[in-house]
Amino acid sequence: MKEYALLIISAALVNNVILARFLGLCSFMGVTTRIDTAVGMGMATTFVITVSSMADWAVETYLLQPYGLGYLRTVTFIMVIAAAVQFTELTVKKVSPPLFQMLGIYLPLITTNCAVLGVAILLVEHKMNFISATLFGFASSVGYSLVMVMFAGLRERLALADIPRLFAGPPNGFIVASLLALAFMGFSGMTA
Amino acid sequence: MGGVVHTTTDFSAPTMAEGIAQVVEVEGNTAWLIPEPGSSCGGCSSAAACGSKGIGTVASRLEKRRFQLVNDAGLSVGERVVVGINENAVLRASVTAYVIPLATLLSAGALAQSVAGNDFVTMGAMLSGLVLGLWLSRIRAARLMERGELAPRFIRRASMGETCNS
Repeated sequence: MKEYALLIISAALVNNVILARFLGLCSFMGVTTRIDTAVGMGMATTFVITVSSMADWAVETYLLQPYGLGYLRTVTFIMVIAAAVQFTELTVKKVSPPLFQMLGIYLPLITTNCAVLGVAILLVEHKMNFISATLFGFASSVGYSLVMVMFAGLRERLALADIPRLFAGPPNGFIVASLLALAFMGFSGMTA
Repeated sequence: MGGVVHTTTDFSAPTMAEGIAQVVEVEGNTAWLIPEPGSSCGGCSSAAACGSKGIGTVASRLEKRRFQLVNDAGLSVGERVVVGINENAVLRASVTAYVIPLATLLSAGALAQSVAGNDFVTMGAMLSGLVLGLWLSRIRAARLMERGELAPRFIRRASMGETCNS
């Protein structure tokens, strides 16, 4: 149990997908102008990363490794991720069309989110068992969502701040992102 | 000695998340609208008018997101209007669509792993948990719909040149 707790803290905070591994930066800068869009994107990504982590682990363990097809890993994982996104889209649409109308816009963006592929490749490299791989995917995506929402909150407040015109918008966003990354480096002391 | 003037800035979030949509059809007292997506390029207005409606294009995705409003304001086809949903609606919708299935999936997996300790059993339990979670989220979504918490509301007609980014 302790092993799983450490895995979750490590994946979510210490090795945060965005601020420590620098994956998923396009959505980090693009979808964080408002908190509600960041929440929608974060939760959709959490669901897709968790489901695709499970599927990628199964494909790697029962298909790619036994048949020596490791060289097809990246292509296969991209296909699995696209399928997971499509599955999520169809499922949400089937479960509730109004939910799909509200949240469906975020799903296509996840297919091209490198954080999803990055997490899948990392969990294979670490040679985890099934439950660890699933928890790693889940915790990584929770860390991603946490940073997205924090950053969106900061940007919403900074939009009201009186700052020089040249720094307004993305330049200011990059400065805040770098300060957040520095702050998250503090978590790496927890495992020393 | 002058008194200290305390100025406070209101950082509280607005109660409605607003967006712009275009009326594409009017049927009696119901208006059908297509949302204009926000984008960093500012091309949201042209997306619906570009004429390309193939599979996977922006226009086809917008078509899928058609929604209806009660046409109390006498809207006509082609008009652009500002619509809004409750700020908490996206959070509630996200919890319903994603958090409930994930919670049941992970709970079922953790339970199976602690009882059986076998990857196949855990996988089966997680799939069952996912199906259960989707069923629960369907019930909750129906309740939210009944209460009208997922429905967008008409706020005002969009002014000339107003975009989803402005």
